[in-house]
Amino acid sequence: MKKLLFAVIAIGVMALMAWGFYQAMYVAPDDAAQGPAGRIFYYHVPHGMLCYLFFSINFVASVLVLVWRRSNPARALAADAWALSGAQVGVVFCTVVLITGPIWARPVWGIWWTWDARLTTTLVLWLIYVSYLLVRSFAAGSEMQTLAAVLAVFGALDMPINYLANRLWRTQHPSPVFGGDPDAGLKDPRMLHAFGWNVLAWGLWGLLLLAIRILLERRQQRIDGSEGDAALAAD
Amino acid sequence: MGHSFMVAAYCFTWGIQLGYLAWMAVKWQAQKAKLGGQR
Repeated sequence: MKKLLFAVIAIGVMALMAWGFYQAMYVAPDDAAQGPAGRIFYYHVPHGMLCYLFFSINFVASVLVLVWRRSNPARALAADAWALSGAQVGVVFCTVVLITGPIWARPVWGIWWTWDARLTTTLVLWLIYVSYLLVRSFAAGSEMQTLAAVLAVFGALDMPINYLANRLWRTQHPSPVFGGDPDAGLKDPRMLHAFGWNVLAWGLWGLLLLAIRILLERRQQRIDGSEGDAALAAD
Repeated sequence: MGHSFMVAAYCFTWGIQLGYLAWMAVKWQAQKAKLGGQR
């Protein structure tokens, strides 16, 4: 029954992604100034928005790891699985942002990269969470979980700086599409629909990946626990 | 020219996302084999 439910959800998400792709490719009109490269926006921006969501999940779960690490170790272990999964899925989404951004910039700006505030803080954000994952892969045990949680709490400080970068400072990166300049934003409703469908589709896809990753990590924790018990029994 | 950049961006996005899913599938299979060995 669980497998059937998972298959139905996965097929639904894939169908929604196909619909989002169709909207972005065939329904939304070409941007007058950017041409076909403007359609990269429908993948780049939702990934940017969603990496905040997954890094926020990592932040909340890391705080819970620190709160529960002594009072309730079982809950702390579950929160740790959420924290790891949030960071990993967030890094996947942030990697897409860092690759699709320069691919868009080359035909539109004429350069692949510039060290402006938005681009630099995005790269720093990615580096913070990659180092979080590296800390986790090179160490083990509850000390590692605590260390990683502290790193995640401080690392999350880069998120508001990254979000505000093109609001507070003059940047090469375009101004915010929503919640920024009143003249900015998507004027054509077909563009708005394509964008909305892609946010929804990639959001559900990301949550599906997150759920699978959490299940994997919880199972890994059970395997590690039973191996530890077996080693103690052998002694 | 803009068209080839758009195709590249979409291919990279799908490649990265499906690559991550495939990595999790491999990990899932490895865990399954390990759990089978423990029984």
